[in-house]
Amino acid sequence: MNPPNRHSNDTLGLQLPARPPFLDVATGFVESSVRALGMGREEALKLRLAAEEIFSYLTSHVRPAEPVDIRAVNGLYYGRVEFRFSVAALNMGALNITATGQFESDEALAAMGLVIASRTVDRLRITEESRGRICLAVEKEKTYPPSPDRTPPRAPFRDGLTIQRTPDAETLKQYAGEVARGQADSPGPAFFDYPGKVVDMVAAGDNQVIAAVDGAGRVAGGILFRFLTERIVEIVGPHVFDPLREREIAGALLDAAIAAVARTRAIGLVSLTGLPEPVRSQFEPLGSLTFFRDKGPALARPAWYRFLHEDPGCPVWTNGALKDFLEREYGRLFLARDIREVRDLGETKKGSSIFSAEIRRERSEVVLRPLWPGDDLAANVERHIRFLREEGFLNLLFEIDLGVSWQAPLVPVLLGRRFSPGMIIPFAGQADLVVFQYHETRP
Amino acid sequence: MKPDLDRLVPVCVREFEPYIPSKPDRELQKLYGCRRLIRLNNNENPLGPPPGAQEVIRRFPPPRGAVYPSGDSYDLRRELAAFHGIDPDQVIVGNGANEVITFVIKAFCEPGDNIVTADRTFAVYEWVAVFSGIEARVVPLKEGRFDDSTMLERIDGATKVIFLCNPNNPTGTYWSRDTLTAFLDAVGGRQIVVVDEAYFEFVEAEDYPDGISLIRDYPNLVVFRTFSKMYGIAGLRIGYLAGDLKVVDMIRRTCVVYSVNAIAQEAALACLRDDTGHVGRTRDMVRQSRDYLKEEMGGMGLPVTSGEGNFLIVKLPGSDTLAYRKLMHEGVMIRPMTGFRYPNHIRVTLAGLEAMEAFAAALKKILA
Repeated sequence: MNPPNRHSNDTLGLQLPARPPFLDVATGFVESSVRALGMGREEALKLRLAAEEIFSYLTSHVRPAEPVDIRAVNGLYYGRVEFRFSVAALNMGALNITATGQFESDEALAAMGLVIASRTVDRLRITEESRGRICLAVEKEKTYPPSPDRTPPRAPFRDGLTIQRTPDAETLKQYAGEVARGQADSPGPAFFDYPGKVVDMVAAGDNQVIAAVDGAGRVAGGILFRFLTERIVEIVGPHVFDPLREREIAGALLDAAIAAVARTRAIGLVSLTGLPEPVRSQFEPLGSLTFFRDKGPALARPAWYRFLHEDPGCPVWTNGALKDFLEREYGRLFLARDIREVRDLGETKKGSSIFSAEIRRERSEVVLRPLWPGDDLAANVERHIRFLREEGFLNLLFEIDLGVSWQAPLVPVLLGRRFSPGMIIPFAGQADLVVFQYHETRP
Repeated sequence: MKPDLDRLVPVCVREFEPYIPSKPDRELQKLYGCRRLIRLNNNENPLGPPPGAQEVIRRFPPPRGAVYPSGDSYDLRRELAAFHGIDPDQVIVGNGANEVITFVIKAFCEPGDNIVTADRTFAVYEWVAVFSGIEARVVPLKEGRFDDSTMLERIDGATKVIFLCNPNNPTGTYWSRDTLTAFLDAVGGRQIVVVDEAYFEFVEAEDYPDGISLIRDYPNLVVFRTFSKMYGIAGLRIGYLAGDLKVVDMIRRTCVVYSVNAIAQEAALACLRDDTGHVGRTRDMVRQSRDYLKEEMGGMGLPVTSGEGNFLIVKLPGSDTLAYRKLMHEGVMIRPMTGFRYPNHIRVTLAGLEAMEAFAAALKKILA
């Protein structure tokens, strides 16, 4: 699987000090850059608004007068604006999405901080790229027309089957259209409703599609896959449109997808959007999360996994409160893990913890990840819950990396605040990730 | 100040996932909670080296540990040359056949070039090419065999080396002498054709070719052999390549001399001189184990792919990587084949009957 197909002219950059007089320079750069990189006027304006909030925030709270690198990136189906800067430990706490200049002033939070920047974009993500070097990125997807035709075709499928490892744009559009038609009643990834977007997602290089075509050239199935983390590939599908050949087509598509990633850096495949029955025996059920929706009842979200290689085994760090869950799950999944308990022996903790927040507005979902330890874990978790719920998010997830020992003290904090462990995803972090889900997300 | 690895490291290296070998037995036994561990994952010979080589290992004088070995395996190359009826300078000895793969790719390829091989074969040809910035064109096997006509179609002006594995690991299929010579005729000297004969000594089929005997007629042919499989000195790491004088002269320029240790060179000499019937004993054991496993797997309704070599493939009803973990808990280590692009298949080394019985019992238990 190839890395994203980025060319040097897909990224534009600017460096300037985080000072208020440069606000117009920063926002003007963002708007004109993403326009030049192919974004529409509306999307460019929204990214400009987000950039305005973020730059103002950096100038006032995070690192006034220090250099900020701003990059506008053309993701083909989305535009991304990245802000990179260094922070000192003392003011790292300001990077929490819920933070303002005055942490204890709750009433100010909803109107300030990074939350407001997130409102105009599809995704906001904070990551620490190296010690003290932060990347704050916002993404806005382009607008695409929906699939024009939702009428089921009447002609039967023909005999014969060809697996296309690099389908052309028209085949991709047919595939996306068929998936969208099939998922009308059971919500799957929204991008299938926009076949042009799927074409661009593949052309961008960070998604790959393999199609199955019948003897008459009609798309009989397909599978989409992409790196979810450094070492985990997410598969969406396989989708089969010819019900009479479900086993054959699903098997062939999955085999082809595995062949494409078997000798890459991937260690495992994960399915978060459902698997057709004929290939489930090749996967292991990881568990299930609940997907809360604005309309309609909540849906179960089972996840499936398969290793691509031998499980190398590893140590995992946890708090005693999670030990039973881990022992049960590792036993069920036959995973070799050396479970090491982290105990609080009174050592001094200081500073403000930081959680990175990945906001996925289209799913009304926020994924929180610990970025930095501190002496305020409980207060920080509570603050995130309160404000993300007030912000209307229905799905709050918290990922704990069992390969990072300082994250273990978060376990009792989460368990005591209506989070419960939903599943383990092997090697999705430095070691395995435990995904906690918040229940009763409705205020 | 930390080095800027994004700038310093070529993309082909940064993007490459290092292969992580399995942990030592004691670590695996601790992790999986098993009291014993039967390794059936690396196609090792449980009979060990021939008696002469065992004697070399036992009697190696410790003071010689301080002395460099022959930098180019002088004596061994002479004996190999005599054994094969070629010139000693037609032979390069390496630290296992894996090292000579690297020599060949370094000698003939630069970024922009490509190699052609199969999708479901020994992975190291593809790995070395990819982390060297060379395109690896992998052609799907056809009915479990290297697909000669499609491989020829994939060759273009930038193709420098074609890697064949004969017999193929993991399918055990092989090209006959006629198929191989027809392929070499079609290539016509425009590319280097490597035939990896790691499992040469296991093959009993009459139409199986001895690649080294073809070098005189096909000077673009390079043949790999190893002492790791039949001769049971995998732990000493020694293999070699043979080819035309002028071709080998080019490959030698990329060799790191002194990479083969003294015990390995002397043990390999003893392997060549073996007159105790080591090859016959090993073949008998493999034959007996193959027959046993085919019957056992057949009884369990599991399809088996079995050809030449000291291994076979079993198709499972579910995930091979899950079966690996379950079998590890039972103290049996096999090779899951997803990494070979054979999902839901496992490769099992044909070892002694006791090990085969333990494997069959464990497999029955985990599939029950």
